[in-house]
Amino acid sequence: MNEILLITLAALATAGRVLGLILISIVTGWFLAYAAIKGKIFENIYISIIEVFESVPVISFFPIVLIIFVTRIGGPLGVEMAADFLVFTAVVWNIWMGEYQAFKTVPREMLEVAENYQMSFFTKMRRIFIPFSYPRIAANLFPSVSDGFFYITVSEVFSVGVHTYQTFGIGTVLDSLAASDKTGLIYMALLILAFVIIIIILGLREFSRYAVSRYTVDTDAPIIRRGRLNVKQTTRLLSVVARNPLSRLAGYYRSRVMSRPPEVFEKREMRREKISRYSSIAIGFTILGLIIYSSTDLIISVSHNEWNHLFSITPKILLYLLYDYARVGVILALSFVIAIFLGYYLAMHSRAEGIGVPIIQTLSAYPPPIYFPFIFGASFTAIHSVLGPFTDEFYVLALGFVSTFYYIFYSFWMGVKALPSEYFEVMKNLNMGYFRRMRSIILPGTFPYLISGISSTINSAWGGLMIGEYWPDIIPGRNLSVHYGLMKFIDIETNVGNIAMAAWGSFLFGIVVAIYSIIFTRRMMDLARKRYVAEEGVFAA
Amino acid sequence: MDEDLIKDNAMQRARAAQYVLSAVGIDFSYENGYKVFEDVNIDVGQNEFVAIVGPSGIGKSTLLRILGGFLKPDKGAVYLFGKQIKRPTPDIILIHQSIVTFPWLTALENVMLSLKVRNVSDEEAEKAARNALETVGLQGFEDLYPKEMSGGMRQRVAIARALAASPLVFLMDEPFAHLDELTAEGLRQDIYNILFSPDTPLKGVVLVSHNLTEVVELADEIYVLNNVPATVVGKVHVDLPRPRNPRSEEFNQILDALYNYLTPPKVRKI
Repeated sequence: MNEILLITLAALATAGRVLGLILISIVTGWFLAYAAIKGKIFENIYISIIEVFESVPVISFFPIVLIIFVTRIGGPLGVEMAADFLVFTAVVWNIWMGEYQAFKTVPREMLEVAENYQMSFFTKMRRIFIPFSYPRIAANLFPSVSDGFFYITVSEVFSVGVHTYQTFGIGTVLDSLAASDKTGLIYMALLILAFVIIIIILGLREFSRYAVSRYTVDTDAPIIRRGRLNVKQTTRLLSVVARNPLSRLAGYYRSRVMSRPPEVFEKREMRREKISRYSSIAIGFTILGLIIYSSTDLIISVSHNEWNHLFSITPKILLYLLYDYARVGVILALSFVIAIFLGYYLAMHSRAEGIGVPIIQTLSAYPPPIYFPFIFGASFTAIHSVLGPFTDEFYVLALGFVSTFYYIFYSFWMGVKALPSEYFEVMKNLNMGYFRRMRSIILPGTFPYLISGISSTINSAWGGLMIGEYWPDIIPGRNLSVHYGLMKFIDIETNVGNIAMAAWGSFLFGIVVAIYSIIFTRRMMDLARKRYVAEEGVFAA
Repeated sequence: MDEDLIKDNAMQRARAAQYVLSAVGIDFSYENGYKVFEDVNIDVGQNEFVAIVGPSGIGKSTLLRILGGFLKPDKGAVYLFGKQIKRPTPDIILIHQSIVTFPWLTALENVMLSLKVRNVSDEEAEKAARNALETVGLQGFEDLYPKEMSGGMRQRVAIARALAASPLVFLMDEPFAHLDELTAEGLRQDIYNILFSPDTPLKGVVLVSHNLTEVVELADEIYVLNNVPATVVGKVHVDLPRPRNPRSEEFNQILDALYNYLTPPKVRKI
């Protein structure tokens, strides 16, 4: 087959895989979100699961994915499903969370209209819930596409022991082109992938604009408030609700409705409510049961000796994790500093923003594992002459940086854009200097956005480390490898086929990250919600 | 430059120097080409409380932003004691219609913000901020966060922050619009005394409002904007003793005069 055509088809296959999985996430998310708003028990289980998985980097799923799909299902289907599942776990959480938040915030009046006209489930979904979720889906598509492309290119080709598994896509094609040293075609492949990504980004921008202009409801209407909401996407909405006199009226109205005796409800209504409640309880318990069953099954299937060995290696794993946290800290600090300078500059200069933001959006979706070996090849000699033994460490940090910088940049940039215009007038009026503005207004005002950006940046930094800490033959004849690091440990154990050890490393990693998330991220989010919601500073009751 | 133009500008400046704030021959259009103002002239004398009224959407808030240097007029200029205003300055402070406080700062820290930008030491800033809060009647509430305060208290914090910047002119954009009537009335009664107390360096105030009773209660001079594009269609001098009685005959005569100016706007062909 013509090689250019092959490359084009491979790029389209990769893009199709990412977009297809995003579509699946969107569609499944609608039904799950509906089930969540209808039943408290399911809602609690569903949201807790999303919150935990959202905070655990997708890369920690890798060994589990390999066990389930490659060794148990096997064949091309198993490999395809392994790659797809990995990407699915990368894109799904924020989309599901966004849809849940959208369904939770449908204006009460709209729901009353639906009840009034006795709309069926599908009419309600089609006419109210799904359209209402479009703006939030649009907001979550950019990070999902970036994550999807990042992981698809590493999961299209992977090795376990002596076996190499691959599925058709741009990752596989680039791998075979690199192996046969066809440099011209490699550049062509990079160019074609860039073209495909630009088309997707332009499409997403257009969809985003359309979704916001057509489906954003004037938030003067009161909205339902219950359950947990993500500060990142709801600060403006919540502040409007909090200061809106209509919502207070709605509050009185709600309490009156609640105090009505149940006899007023028609029997049919009550039966429907009951069915809906019991089904959501059943779904919730089924999910919980499955998790408990599979965990127990796994624990029993591992021998006593194996457990002993795994426990004995645990202190070493934790030390490696410490090294990796130090790397994540460096990447985060660098990303933070650049993000706040660049983000503020672009938010303040509309012309630069018009050019800069689409470029950054495209770059963020362009997967670093694809282009990084070429940067490495081109710069290695020069960097090595300066950094000597720290060269590999430098490249690992650089890969972590390019994999993750965008998240904190976006969050901060969005935060600055969302600051009330009155704040900018006050800053101008008081003749505030740059650093005073940053310290007193901009950084505190964007604090909720920064926390969510920092959290995403940390999660994605792990992905960069997973790839960079142990990258055999990054360019022909040269490996990229650090001395110590948990990601390297997991990489090597996976490569030699020691799945139990890799899974144990991933498991410990997942637990530490989840604890960190609960202790640090959630506390910071609570603090942000309590004090740093800029819109609450502008009182217009 | 044309000699006549230089002469005109010099005359404008000389005339403007007699006033605290002076807007001369202001023309302004929005980006979409809609012309908002044509030849608007406003003067604020020493210790004068000037109000600007006009129908909704006429451009009152836009005019206030031009007076503060936030927007640049297409034609004409704004002068502060004869010096042209080209950008926002702490000498002219804008008080917003939506009450602006910073939720992560206490009342005291909110007020100190305008002092810190002047490189005042922390002790001095705190002392001045406490004084400003005392001036607006918030003594004892220094450590509260805006969220823990009522709307009226928050507006007092915003006013204290503005006072602490030691401005010469206050621009107030419907400052009572978001307050309930009782709170607004209380603050209105206090505001004149607060603004022109001997403790403040304030030399003039411009208030924009659509509440005519409020305007007559507070202002010394009232400019009426009307027509499209808007111009000053009338100027009413209010020479009533303070505190003013809204039920008095004189008060109502002034109100009637204002209503007469505010007949439906005429659209002029341009």
